Amino acid sequence: MGPKSNTGKEKLLDDEAEVLQAVILADSFNKRFRPLTTRKPRCLLPICNAPLLDWTFESLALAGVQEIFVICRSHPQQIKAKIAESRWSKPGSGIKIVPILTAKETFSPGDAMRDIYTRGLVTGDFVLVMGDLVSNIRIDEVVKLHKERRKENKDVIMTMVVKESGAKHRTRSKADSAVFALDPVTSECLHYEPIMGYPPSTVASIPREILIEHPDIEIRNDFIDCSIDICSVEVPSLFQDNFDYLDIRRDFVHGVLTSDLLMKKIHCYVAKDGYAARVQDTKSYESISKDILSRWTFPLVPDNNHPAGHLYEHRRGNKYIDKDGTVILARTSTVGNNCLIGSSTKVSDNAQIISSVVGQDCFIGEGAIIDNSYIFSGTTVGPGCVIERSIIGSDVNIRENTRIDKGSLIGDGVIVGPNAHLEAFGRLSKKRASGPEDGDENDGEEDDEDYADSDEEEVEAAQDSITVDLGTDSNAIVWPHGVADEDEDEDDVENAKNQRFMRIGDSASDLAYSDAGSESSGQESESSDDDGDFGERIKLPTSTSTSLDIPDGASPDAIAEEEFRNEVRLSLERAFAENHSVDNAAVELKTLRMASNVPLSRVREAVVAAIVERIKIIDGGGAPQRQEIFHVISRWGPLIDRIGGVDPVETISALQTHCSSSTRLLLFGQIVAALYQTDIVEESDIRKWHESPVSHGLGLPPGERADNHKKCREIGSRMIQQFDEQDEDSEETEDEGEEGSDEDDDEDEDSSSEEDEGSD
Amino acid sequence: MASDPQSAANQRIVEDLVSRLRRRQLVGSRAAALETLLVLRQVVSKARSSNINQLVNIIRAVGRRLVEAQPKEHSVGNTVRKVLHHIREEYHTASEKPVVESSFSIAKFVLQGQPRKQTTIVRSGSEARAPLKENDPNDPDSFARVLKPVLMEAIQDVFDELETVYDNISKNAKDHIHSDEIILTLGTSKTVDSFLKAAAHYRNYTVIVAETAPSYGGREMAKSLSSAGISTFLVPDSSIYALMSRVNKVILGAHAILANGGMFATSGSLLAATAARSYSTPVVVCAGQFKLTPLWNLYHEHGALDFGDPSAVLGFDEGDLVEKVDVINPYYDYVRPELLDVFITNYGDHPPSSIYRLLKETYDDEDNEL
Repeated sequence: MGPKSNTGKEKLLDDEAEVLQAVILADSFNKRFRPLTTRKPRCLLPICNAPLLDWTFESLALAGVQEIFVICRSHPQQIKAKIAESRWSKPGSGIKIVPILTAKETFSPGDAMRDIYTRGLVTGDFVLVMGDLVSNIRIDEVVKLHKERRKENKDVIMTMVVKESGAKHRTRSKADSAVFALDPVTSECLHYEPIMGYPPSTVASIPREILIEHPDIEIRNDFIDCSIDICSVEVPSLFQDNFDYLDIRRDFVHGVLTSDLLMKKIHCYVAKDGYAARVQDTKSYESISKDILSRWTFPLVPDNNHPAGHLYEHRRGNKYIDKDGTVILARTSTVGNNCLIGSSTKVSDNAQIISSVVGQDCFIGEGAIIDNSYIFSGTTVGPGCVIERSIIGSDVNIRENTRIDKGSLIGDGVIVGPNAHLEAFGRLSKKRASGPEDGDENDGEEDDEDYADSDEEEVEAAQDSITVDLGTDSNAIVWPHGVADEDEDEDDVENAKNQRFMRIGDSASDLAYSDAGSESSGQESESSDDDGDFGERIKLPTSTSTSLDIPDGASPDAIAEEEFRNEVRLSLERAFAENHSVDNAAVELKTLRMASNVPLSRVREAVVAAIVERIKIIDGGGAPQRQEIFHVISRWGPLIDRIGGVDPVETISALQTHCSSSTRLLLFGQIVAALYQTDIVEESDIRKWHESPVSHGLGLPPGERADNHKKCREIGSRMIQQFDEQDEDSEETEDEGEEGSDEDDDEDEDSSSEEDEGSD
Repeated sequence: MASDPQSAANQRIVEDLVSRLRRRQLVGSRAAALETLLVLRQVVSKARSSNINQLVNIIRAVGRRLVEAQPKEHSVGNTVRKVLHHIREEYHTASEKPVVESSFSIAKFVLQGQPRKQTTIVRSGSEARAPLKENDPNDPDSFARVLKPVLMEAIQDVFDELETVYDNISKNAKDHIHSDEIILTLGTSKTVDSFLKAAAHYRNYTVIVAETAPSYGGREMAKSLSSAGISTFLVPDSSIYALMSRVNKVILGAHAILANGGMFATSGSLLAATAARSYSTPVVVCAGQFKLTPLWNLYHEHGALDFGDPSAVLGFDEGDLVEKVDVINPYYDYVRPELLDVFITNYGDHPPSSIYRLLKETYDDEDNEL
């Protein structure tokens, strides 16, 4: 059937103007599901009795995707086999699925994107999703929107699909979410700030430049990030150019949004209808299972369009029992609401199943209680067992009277019991090579095993130190509780405490509350008052004031800044000497700024300083001096506004700061005048600067510098007086006195200037 | 069978429809019926069969596949049954077996007013066509060659019937609606819409439309009716009972008419029908023939009501509530036959008690289970 159906399909595809392509990253690049994922890739774990990958395919098919590339890294053979045997590869499915095996060295989504680029897989706009997506959003409409935007502006490279959910929704990950700043009209994403459960954050900072350009912004902390991205072809190439991008959100989105060089735009699509979520950890596994059972994913529900093709009967109270009549429910057994029971499963007398999913061919013994748990296929639960909020792999045998507490994960093929008790959050997997029958695996699979088992070996080696009674017949090894490594980076999403937010059954309430309290009392006393709920306090960095606090002490930052200033000086000297164009010099400065990662205000200071130093001091001053100043400013002044943001007030402040510690103190007035003449600063800017506390030399130690600062300000006062006089003259003739009229009498009102601090 | 390219092509169009039905990309009984018919036409035109049983089996297999894909869209199965019925009829005519047409067709009785002596046209096979040969080893294609044009014609008949279903139903609209009456309806139904509009040509009357939460189909319906110049009121569902005393007639659409005379209809219909019963207001159901479903026990099945997603009732953004509340949002209500007075179909007007008869004439008994 292969070749024939392929040609037919291609013919079909040719008819369409454009084939909608999708790329699935079928690897999680993390280990949150261990030990369930030691022998199986995460995307093949069943959720509601169908592999995650099938849910993803179905979600994409619903959106009219015609060609799917599946990027697989761990256990690629299994994924390939699964795709080959699934209904998607049958003729008439209308979808072409191509598994792509990527190198084992692909350790992050970024690497996978680079791989996509090198292989040249995508030809147009494509949909990028993870292999653990469950969605019924009409992605094709988002694609249409994206294409329209692209027509207007080529710089729009990506549209992220997010779902409104409310901050405390069960499906929203506390451990790995984000604050989005959006333009409410265009829904352009202006700022992205990732948030973790631990360390908790109480502050999100929005860069000031955004506020200048966008009078209205929406700051949202109630989105589920579904990781559905509509990407243009440029996206993989951007990953290729920036080889340090690892994560699509944290690195790529953040990088693109903060970059001055790329000038690319990312939009958000806020899905109001529909459902989309990712099974990114065991906690979301639970909540998405529940969402599916309570039909939020309609029409993707067990009794209609089940991705694995099973047919379930929908009974009152959202109970789903396989339709083929092979399920045996004992008369005295109880199946509660929101349950799913797969075919050929037998539930014995007095057993209770509450809000759980039981796979196919399972056996639930007499009097067993299964509460909010997820049991994969082929598992036997002995009589009298109690299982709470846990995930049990396939072909597990839980012997009689075993108790499994909440949050436990039990890997495939484990035998536990009898009469054992597994404490909360226990993790078990089968001993490797326990039987001789494991030896006859073929080479290809063995490769996988070796690769996957490096962790397992470690765990096995540590078994001696763990003494947990798992019953006489057990073949299980116990995985240690996630203890924080010494060298672990707290900022990493995978840090041990943050992982607790991702665990099934773990409310992590001790972390969420105690730490938030201690943190805020340690740092900012006022922050604990106003964020009792999860609301974000938005702090606006007052970067105007940052120009002052250059410490004299040589902290590492200061050294880096010193280096940067040196670089800028050298680069500008070169520019002056070789008479570069202002544009070229600006590009060079931007690159420098990116390289040493310093705020914009530092660049401004450095540029102003360099330009001022460029002015030759002519003995005697007077007209020749003024001419020299004007010459330099008119040639190089525009550069100040080209470095990535226009802020004349800051320019004057920088000038003041520089002049007060330089031999060109006397030139200050003339330079300001020259800046004014070349329209780099306006009259109102001079006034604003004059009012600002910076101009008073606030925070400077008393001494020569502070005195010089004052002198500069006096010069400013004199200029403003002149302006006022001019205004009075001109007010009679032309009506342009608006600036003068609302600001005319505040030149000496020092008391008012303190209040203005926050307004900039 | 799957090996030859023709059936592979068949397979593809069938699978295409199957996946669209599964994904609910194809909604609406009539649209589904039309699509099914198109697929069946394709299948029949390409099917290779040397006797009637093979052909019937092929069609049944396709039908089963389609019905399994979306068991709640009954018009799909009904269309398949209808086509099978027609094919057998044509076959019997062609093979010159005695035409066993019942002389007391209820549809004809209703439409023509009186039992007439059946003018059974016993078409003689020798008229224009070659004699029908089945299982002829020398000429295996002869069966298909002879019968195919007739079958295509038969399918075309079903097709035409579907095309004209609204006109045929609304033909007698003026006999049901009188001047200055107040009619209550709910939900959006193309059949009811054209029925009311047809009546508006002759009569001056008022329609009250319940807005039918949570789908709010009533709003569209009210818009469409008022744009046709009918005096229309849009009311919330909660006031149906209060208004019922002033209503002369309730006109509803149906999703499926069951063999016992009951029906599945937009949720809210049961409310309206029950309220109407307590005021003895007549309840009239307008539905095309393709909604006649030869199943009678569906109302035992909880799932048959077709539950949608809860988001129309409770927003997904109500994070806290989503966890604690189970919301059910059924698309349909089952309305018992006792609550209904008459079905207006393109086969004439029938009381619920004679629907079983109509079904027997429309479909063959052996197709009830596909």
